[in-house]
Amino acid sequence: MRFQDVEIRKLSDTMWEIPREGGMRVPGLVFASEAMMGDIVRDEAIRQVMNVAHLPGILKHSIGMPDIHWGYGFPIGGVAAMDAREGVVSPGGVGYDINCGVRLLRSDLTADALRPKLRELVAALHREVPSGVGSTGFVRLTAEDEEKVLTQGSRWAASRGFASAQDIACTESGGALPGADPDAVSAVARKRGRDQLGTLGSGNHFLEIDEVAEVFDDEAARAFGLFPGQAAVLIHSGSRGLGYQVCDDYLQTMADYMRRNAIDLPDRQLACAHIRSPEGERYLSALAAAANYAFANRQLLAHQARETFLRFLGMGPNDLGMRMVYDCGHNNAKFEEHEVDGRDRRVLVHRKGATRCFPPGNAEIPEPYRHAGQPVLIPGDMGTASYVLAGAPEGMRLSFGSTCHGAGRRMSRTQARSSVRGKSIVQEMERRGVIVACASHKTLAEEIPEAYKDVSEVVDVVHAAGIARRVARLKPLAVVKG
Amino acid sequence: MLEVRGEDLPGLFSSCVLALFSLLVDRRTVRGTEIRAVEGAGETAEAQLFSLLREALLLFAVHKFLARSARGTIEGKRVTLTLAGEPFDSERHSVDREIKAVTAHLMSVKRLPGGYLARFVVDV
Repeated sequence: MRFQDVEIRKLSDTMWEIPREGGMRVPGLVFASEAMMGDIVRDEAIRQVMNVAHLPGILKHSIGMPDIHWGYGFPIGGVAAMDAREGVVSPGGVGYDINCGVRLLRSDLTADALRPKLRELVAALHREVPSGVGSTGFVRLTAEDEEKVLTQGSRWAASRGFASAQDIACTESGGALPGADPDAVSAVARKRGRDQLGTLGSGNHFLEIDEVAEVFDDEAARAFGLFPGQAAVLIHSGSRGLGYQVCDDYLQTMADYMRRNAIDLPDRQLACAHIRSPEGERYLSALAAAANYAFANRQLLAHQARETFLRFLGMGPNDLGMRMVYDCGHNNAKFEEHEVDGRDRRVLVHRKGATRCFPPGNAEIPEPYRHAGQPVLIPGDMGTASYVLAGAPEGMRLSFGSTCHGAGRRMSRTQARSSVRGKSIVQEMERRGVIVACASHKTLAEEIPEAYKDVSEVVDVVHAAGIARRVARLKPLAVVKG
Repeated sequence: MLEVRGEDLPGLFSSCVLALFSLLVDRRTVRGTEIRAVEGAGETAEAQLFSLLREALLLFAVHKFLARSARGTIEGKRVTLTLAGEPFDSERHSVDREIKAVTAHLMSVKRLPGGYLARFVVDV
């Protein structure tokens, strides 16, 4: 397989190596089938994998997941682990939407029981869960609250009665990253986020009612509280304007740092600073604060969804059984211990459009799931499917305990809009059996199923490569889009 | 990617900022009842444009102001745009998409026969 003048070596049916050349410090490694690889080499994502391999302190490989596509600087669907002492941190390796992620709530309801009431329920969720540009959350934050959101994340939500102990236990990192410093977040970033806590946002963010359509791994599904035919709620959102602004602010800080320290990289959107520099440390403190905002945001969205279900169905919490399965981010940089060259090293793992995916037995996994592996939530497009996966041992050896994050875009937003001109997406989705409520029809047109790769093919690759394993497939019944 | 043309640099910068607001809203629904100014600075035309677009985005993202029209001036390395518009009103303005950021990805300003061409990418 060739990408421009680069020969890419096939390692297996699911792995491809991009050899070191020029200033690359490590080779590239891409997880994809042969057919997917044929598509991947058509855009610049492979070049971006190669560019990331130039970063100081990068270890083993610059990694691309099967949902990889062209991003800004780093590809989306990329993983890069840096030595914690010698390496760099890059805001572009995390992305603008810091700790954007997915949360799954299970229930004791069956999809069949919900179907007759689904249209009215979706309308109620669309009313109660703020979405779209300019929407504001139901909580008004005082300055003191804001500090707590940034330092405590979901635990702040629990202190206000918006989260249960089980919610917190089943959120990655317990819903709060350590080391957050509100003072590292600019006043502008705080202003952008102030009214947005508890809002879905727009673009590819959504709240979905799904049916567990297929279970692949009975034991893991049982551990996660999932069963065939079950109704569940999937939420995809992030750190809203606060996170976007933290990334934007620190890209400028890092660009100045690189000029002063004569760090030369192939793309200025790879702007970075050494992890142990004051600039690097300050960004990591701001990153943790924005990540905590995202945890709290998804917690409030889950609270609103739960309350709406309870009110609308006239049920008690015990009858509804709407408990957290898991909440995982897919845009982050986290310090972790990984084996590199036969010894344990402390590394900073950048995951941009990639999900942490730890195997059974890992101490970071909530105790009830530890024997099954970390739950991983992979949203697909709004018409096809989403997946629940679990971590698998090869992930630690091959991908720093990481896997894919979604289907990955196949069409640009402009292409998607052009392809549907004159059609009603809401009607088209209804024809496919999915009820849609949306804030913007333009956004909806950009999110048509055809704009995305086939999520099942993406999941097949990570399953076959042994970095994650399939647990269940979810089928969308209704979607609230921003 | 957005491609914007202008006869001169002040005109190009004004059109770029208006293109940004056109991504947010149908500008025909925006009234020019209030005036705001945004400034950008930089060593190169690209750096000036980048700085200006970032400021213009914050005008909406932080101050909830929508622009209808713009007029630009350049003094040395500093660009100033005077924008006519009004505060966002959810009853009258339908904002189509959220712009996360203006990126430096593939940003360029080129001189062409008879004018200028700018290219830039925003993250939505």
